[in-house]
Amino acid sequence: MENQTIWHRLLMIDRRILYLILFINIIIFLLIPVKVRTVTSPPVRKFYDTIEQLKPGDLVMVSSNWSAGTIGENLPQLEAVIRHLMRKKVRFTVISIEPQARDISYRFVSRFTREGGYEYGKDWAHFGFIPSLVVGIKGMVKDLPATIKQDVRGTPIAQLPVMQGVKTLADYKMVIDITPSGTVPAWIAYRPKNLIVLFCPTSVMAAEAYTFLDSGQVAGMLTGAIGAQEYEQLLQREGLGTTFGNAISFSHALIIFFIILGNVALFMSRRAQGG
Amino acid sequence: MWQIETGTTAGKIYVTLIVLAFLALFMGLIPVMQVLPPRGRRALIALVTFFAGLVFAAEFFLPVNKEGENLLSPAIEPAQNTLQIIGAMALALGTYGLIRLHLRNIVQQRSQWGYSVVLIVAFLTMGFFSVWNTLAEKGELPKTTVLERGFGLLFDNMLVPLESAMFSLIAFYIFSAAYRAFRIRSIEASILMFTAMVVMIGIVSLGNIISYQWLGLPLEQTAEMEKNPFSLRNIGYNLALPRIAYWILQALNAPVQRAIEFGVGIAGLAMAIRLWLSLERGIT
Amino acid sequence: MSYQHAADNWFSAIIIALIAAAVLLNIARAKAGAQLYIRRIPGLDAIDEAIGRSTEMGRPVTMIPGLTTFGVVAVQALTIFKYITKQIAKFATPMRLLTADATVYAVAQEAIHDAYNEAGRPDLYDPDDIRFLSDRQFAFASGVAGLLQRERVAASFMFGEFYAESLIFAETGNIVGAIQIAGTTTFTQVPFFVAACDYTIIGDEFYATSAYLSREPVLLGSLVGQDIAKLLFVLTIIVGLITTTIQGKDHWLVKLLGMPGGWDAFWRAIFGGS
Repeated sequence: MENQTIWHRLLMIDRRILYLILFINIIIFLLIPVKVRTVTSPPVRKFYDTIEQLKPGDLVMVSSNWSAGTIGENLPQLEAVIRHLMRKKVRFTVISIEPQARDISYRFVSRFTREGGYEYGKDWAHFGFIPSLVVGIKGMVKDLPATIKQDVRGTPIAQLPVMQGVKTLADYKMVIDITPSGTVPAWIAYRPKNLIVLFCPTSVMAAEAYTFLDSGQVAGMLTGAIGAQEYEQLLQREGLGTTFGNAISFSHALIIFFIILGNVALFMSRRAQGG
Repeated sequence: MWQIETGTTAGKIYVTLIVLAFLALFMGLIPVMQVLPPRGRRALIALVTFFAGLVFAAEFFLPVNKEGENLLSPAIEPAQNTLQIIGAMALALGTYGLIRLHLRNIVQQRSQWGYSVVLIVAFLTMGFFSVWNTLAEKGELPKTTVLERGFGLLFDNMLVPLESAMFSLIAFYIFSAAYRAFRIRSIEASILMFTAMVVMIGIVSLGNIISYQWLGLPLEQTAEMEKNPFSLRNIGYNLALPRIAYWILQALNAPVQRAIEFGVGIAGLAMAIRLWLSLERGIT
Repeated sequence: MSYQHAADNWFSAIIIALIAAAVLLNIARAKAGAQLYIRRIPGLDAIDEAIGRSTEMGRPVTMIPGLTTFGVVAVQALTIFKYITKQIAKFATPMRLLTADATVYAVAQEAIHDAYNEAGRPDLYDPDDIRFLSDRQFAFASGVAGLLQRERVAASFMFGEFYAESLIFAETGNIVGAIQIAGTTTFTQVPFFVAACDYTIIGDEFYATSAYLSREPVLLGSLVGQDIAKLLFVLTIIVGLITTTIQGKDHWLVKLLGMPGGWDAFWRAIFGGS
């Protein structure tokens, strides 16, 4: 049997060893607090500046469509966004497109607003979930109270102080879509023309949003936990985004190291075969 | 005409008549379909498909009034709600198929029937607590400690970590896929590899460390740099990894994506037209 | 007001009409006997090779339409799977079709049943081979990954809409040594398929698959019509590019095409000139 060189062994390395190395890398950088200053990317800067233009009392729609699977990326975004909105003293309502997203967003937003001194019904409300986003948006554009009818606690939304004077989606200043799926085209296509759209996707979905960012249809974007990290830096408040962002950074470095190693191994093993 | 006031007697009679009419239509359709020759059956299906699609197409093209509605606009929401109801019925069918398969595995003790036991037990347990929780939230059933603890255990302590764990697998799979695939085998593979590496480093804080701390590249563009775009400082500013990564995403990724989306959109429209006009044999 | 009707956006109304006209005219041309060319797509040529490999190894073939809800993409995916099933039926290779949408599951049962009938092997059809696993993304992903591992599939065909779970399928298929052909309209998942699968069908090649495999005149004609429509888009972009460069952004043609509004804006632009 041919003697396998180290380069051959590196090329054929058991993937479980790779997984173990990555696992250790992530754990180390999750547990060890590393102070790394990030530079704010243009989409995050635009996101922050857009929310900074809000005035106290403005109304914002937060569309929270993520569930347990993407908690690592979307939760830091949701927390940072809600805390920024509370800092600006704007009113907001939360809506989801599926039951698990409703439950998760209701729990977390309730916690953040309790900490921020916001009162349910007066400063914020949760509309529960709408089964079809497109039908829901079209309905809200025409007549919001008739489309939503009641909030997640069963109270008719017309009775909520936060919804006083609100008839349609046009009464909102902006919609912030926090999602792991492709829901933002629906908001862009069917919203009232003056409704600003901000987007918080997972990193994977961010690539397809650059066209909307470029054309101005999306005013700003937070890309996964990295975007949340940059945003927290602007808010001067460290949260989950900072912790996760650091772990992601060093994981990327590890992957690149192994890609280079793999190519060196390929080159050396070809040389050994040729020799 | 599309919105019915179900509170009134007239509304209730109207709803009953519509439901009976549809039932009669479908009951009558079955023997008609059996009696018709295949060509006739295809023609009938094509006719129904055409008129069903015509509602949506006509609603889009017909002129609208000041409120942005036309004659067919009130029909769209009930039509879309009907599609959702059909989807819900199909969900029941799918769930039945799943349960039937796994119950059969258990009864006949087919290979790996243990997994089927796990599925059935998990399905029944989660279903029971979920329904109880939903009814308790509406106030129709009492919210007891058993429910809170049980639902909390199943949702917070099992479902959430399990779904997160499945999503986290992607990180590990990306590692093994990148290690295997990003090799300098051809020009295209090399371009793919270098672009991926630059974007991966450029979008995270490590790119900032390398560009701004280790290499000392300028962080911001000054007025002087703008006036002299070919100055060393301005070139350095633009060669920072975060700026290159952002340029790749904005100037390379976005146009290519637009091009692909154009093609996909046109192809999707063409297929929809073929299906609407029954020109597509496809799955029928 | 939003773009919900043709009256709100004259551009979309005209473009839809033009694309429809191009497609229908070329379908008519194809039916009249015109010889239409379609270029080679390596991923689709490999379908037969993958099925042959599965048959030799005696291991099943899986077909996964992803998280596609019932619509145009699902119909196209099921058309491709129907073709694959007809090929499979010739060799009696076992197969599994795994869906995450109940409506797709119901339609897939009929489509696969028809495929076996058309191939002359109705005895091979087993309704348990078409499975609805779950409509939850990661429950579906874990079900598919588990099945791929347990049954050691030899060929995996993934056509439809995929999201984050795409890499889970592709890498699991790679682990068990399956030959994998994937096609998706979801742009963001293409890199994962390119990295982990043997062949990847990108963008509107997915919709061209049925025309490529069947060579039916209607489908080939439609494909040519689509290409003509794409050419119109390219010409519009070039005209806009030249006009903006020479005349600037305030030229009426640039304003007309760049900011479509209702029909009154269109007539004002044409006859008013700005």
